[in-house]
Amino acid sequence: MSEISKLTELRKLLLDMEQSMGLQNLSSVERDIYYAASDHATSTGAGTGTGAVKTTTLQEHRLLAQVSRPTFFRGLKSLLGKGYLEPCKESSRGYYIVKTPR
Amino acid sequence: MTLRTLMPEIGVVSLAYLAAFLVTYEILMPVQALFFPEFSSRASLLFLPHGVRVLSAWLLGWRSVLALLPGVIIGFVYFAGAGVLEPSRLAGIAIAVTVPAACFYLLRRLGWDLRPAPGRKPCWICIMIAGLLISFFTSPLTNYALGSGLEDYVAYLIGDVFGLFFLMLILMLVFRLLRRSEPDPAGRHYSGL
Repeated sequence: MSEISKLTELRKLLLDMEQSMGLQNLSSVERDIYYAASDHATSTGAGTGTGAVKTTTLQEHRLLAQVSRPTFFRGLKSLLGKGYLEPCKESSRGYYIVKTPR
Repeated sequence: MTLRTLMPEIGVVSLAYLAAFLVTYEILMPVQALFFPEFSSRASLLFLPHGVRVLSAWLLGWRSVLALLPGVIIGFVYFAGAGVLEPSRLAGIAIAVTVPAACFYLLRRLGWDLRPAPGRKPCWICIMIAGLLISFFTSPLTNYALGSGLEDYVAYLIGDVFGLFFLMLILMLVFRLLRRSEPDPAGRHYSGL
């Protein structure tokens, strides 16, 4: 596991804490999309250098297998609006980057 | 795993441990002495370094033993000076660095795998429970090694649990603050985060 992935895991843990304390405004689907994107960024980020995740990859993630297509896209749009994900500028449409604290 | 990959881990974890240690003993302990003047124990009731031990053992597994070692040794030197080489203190150092990783390992062997993994949702309550278990083992062992009394045992336990909780709370607020301060490419402000 790379340095950035450890930071991501720590961030996920603390997001769970935020959620429990009612300080976070993510729905369960939004959180699962974010976790799935973080998992993907963790596994590919060190290798590709971008860590960009494709929409279809997210939809196939085991946390999101039961989520309907409209719900998934609503969650994705909401995460973009809230700043947890952002469109990848270096890739074509449908690729997103997990925003990590600097 | 090479020395080159281990060094950043050792640096970050040991510095985090030392920072938590200094905050605990230079800031929190004097405040504790003001509020609980009758409490004579040297134990902190808010021992932040326990949080660093637990989180590093959760993230790094057995590698946390190496990562924590320089920080824990410097912490002991801060208190004991050259006395750090006494067998009781060396035992204390060994307990502080090995018990957290050993507890996570034991929990995994017992079927409760808390390690971060793709597809696994993080659970902060589980980490708190693991932190409590680690403290259950660390406190009596440290007490035995350093020859402290029962009052210290209870104080260690309380300090460890509160230390882990407040360290996670501090980190949560820091991450939250960092997220809020990130500029939005679309010009929006993340006020809802």
